[in-house]
Amino acid sequence: MPTRPLVTSYEQDLRLFEDRWARAGLVLWTLVALAWPFVVTDRWVTTANLALTAVVGAVGLMILTGFAGQISLGHAAFLALGAYTSAILGEQFELPFWLAMPCAGAVAAAVGLAVGPFALRLRGLYLAIVTLGLLFLTNHVLHSLPELTHGVSGIPVRMYSGGTDAAGEALRFSAPWRLGSLELGFDEKLYFLFLALAAGAAWLGKNVARSNSGRAMMAVRDQDLAASVLGVHPARSKVLAFGVSSFLAGVAGSMFAYQQQYITIEPPFDLNLSVQYIAMIVLGGVGTVFGAVAGALLFVCLTPLMETVGGWIPFVADLSTHQRSTLMFAVVVCVLLAVEPLGLLGVWLRVKRTFAAWPFRY
Amino acid sequence: MSNLLQLCVSGLSLGTIYALIALGFVVIYRASTVFNFAHGEFLSFGAFCMVSLCAAGLPWGISLATAMVLTGALGAAVERVVLRPMIGRPVFVTIIVTIFVGAILRSAIFIAWGPQTRGMPTPWDPLTTFEVAGASLLANSVAAVAAGACALAAFFALVRRTKLGVAMRATASDQETALALGVPVGRVFAATWFLAGLFAALAGVFLGMFPRSVDTNLGFVALRAFPAVIVGGLDSAWGTVLAGVLLGVLEVLCQGYVNPHLGEFGKNLHAVFPYVVMILFLIVRPHGLFGTREVERV
Repeated sequence: MPTRPLVTSYEQDLRLFEDRWARAGLVLWTLVALAWPFVVTDRWVTTANLALTAVVGAVGLMILTGFAGQISLGHAAFLALGAYTSAILGEQFELPFWLAMPCAGAVAAAVGLAVGPFALRLRGLYLAIVTLGLLFLTNHVLHSLPELTHGVSGIPVRMYSGGTDAAGEALRFSAPWRLGSLELGFDEKLYFLFLALAAGAAWLGKNVARSNSGRAMMAVRDQDLAASVLGVHPARSKVLAFGVSSFLAGVAGSMFAYQQQYITIEPPFDLNLSVQYIAMIVLGGVGTVFGAVAGALLFVCLTPLMETVGGWIPFVADLSTHQRSTLMFAVVVCVLLAVEPLGLLGVWLRVKRTFAAWPFRY
Repeated sequence: MSNLLQLCVSGLSLGTIYALIALGFVVIYRASTVFNFAHGEFLSFGAFCMVSLCAAGLPWGISLATAMVLTGALGAAVERVVLRPMIGRPVFVTIIVTIFVGAILRSAIFIAWGPQTRGMPTPWDPLTTFEVAGASLLANSVAAVAAGACALAAFFALVRRTKLGVAMRATASDQETALALGVPVGRVFAATWFLAGLFAALAGVFLGMFPRSVDTNLGFVALRAFPAVIVGGLDSAWGTVLAGVLLGVLEVLCQGYVNPHLGEFGKNLHAVFPYVVMILFLIVRPHGLFGTREVERV
């Protein structure tokens, strides 16, 4: 059974990166991330953008489900709110993206804080189904405001970077950037913006995990009665978790909208999306930021792969590409859950320990 | 007035179907504390089996029984293969596993039966109506209510009167004690999933009848039965049956009387109406109508 390394001092518990493995990994991944758009094809830059969006959303869900232990099937509702807020702000007010994104997060967080109090009275499955109800209600409301959201036909998402050009037109983010001989197109610019946001989200998640409020959330998750006896305020922790989580989900929704440039309500913002986010954090390993990041990256990067591989399997080839990747994922998740309960984190701990204990087996 | 009666009967038939679906959830939840999100696919599986068996020339009654048994066997197989190894894992692990098992089953059904919409065969003319007090009632709706009532009566008789029922209740109240007393808990799990499969197939068959039809999206109706489970209380069979019937009637009444008056907001409002009722209800009673209240002690 893989276990976490033994924590022997308070300083060690507070460290942002626990050992030299984590620091080495960080350097390596930073290099890979910075070189990525210049090395791979356009298709993989787009995939990376989606993956970084998923990282932000998954860190959000990890704070709620992984840290505070509140199961939510309504994550897609917060993503939808974020996406539509930034789309509407862009369309109606030509708001630049750096103002629209925090607004998207704030709208989602406001709804999250309103739902939070439900979690004070409901547990486990009851809460899961109430959040599912929230998702259906949100989509119904979005459908019933056609003058803002254009209903089923969808809404174009315009990304302004603020200011106007010589002709008085608002500047678009899609205009390419020149840095010497280097030209950054829309996808590359988006990639670096998203990379910064995803790194920020992961940092935020990490800081929540090692702060007072994060430890309070984990205490509530593990045993809320004991936590409240020890002086933790379970209500405050749960509502805070809902607020932070839905803020990140709103930002992720807004990122998704800017990346897609045209969004509709259902799909993509349906139960399936919520389930995908849960699958990400479970695949990665529940309860750690590493799990959220690794799960999100794996999940999104595997999708194009799954669609291709699915074409080679008889019967599965009859399905549409979307159904194919859903099916393959379902199989992968079921198998992984059966053999490695800690997900990718478990695999990583196993590998790390094998090397650390080499040449002994344990 | 006749309009109201008509709506009530079609609401009752929808409610009976919700009750059958919700009962499937509750039976499984009580025995093994798993909330089976794949239940909707059992519905479609049962309905598609029924369509194929009837097309193969079997008499209607025998096809129905065979479809029910096949779906029950599918349920038992899912429990044995996928969920038995998950015993003792956190709640959300079983939630995710059942959701993804549902996705696998949906793809399998899609591969086996294709995307076409089919009509559900009925032994009577599907358009038969009875004229009662000026209202025309669909024979299909009346049959759904009757069949549902019979199935529910049989279930409660089973739980109260038979040895299996006692074993199921024992397992539901405490698995370890039941094991210690010699109840074959593994077999009880299999039996509960089998039962849930039977109900699902029955619900699927009546759900697929005119005015609705059978296609691969049939399973999504199970999502609309969730509020019944929650309003009734997750571990109360009577509560969910009552809540299922009530929410079915409320949904149809909402479609008939509330939707047209709310303009744009009223479009498809009935589809989310059970959820609205559920959320309002949970503010007042967080454990549903008859669910067990959790006792907190320090």
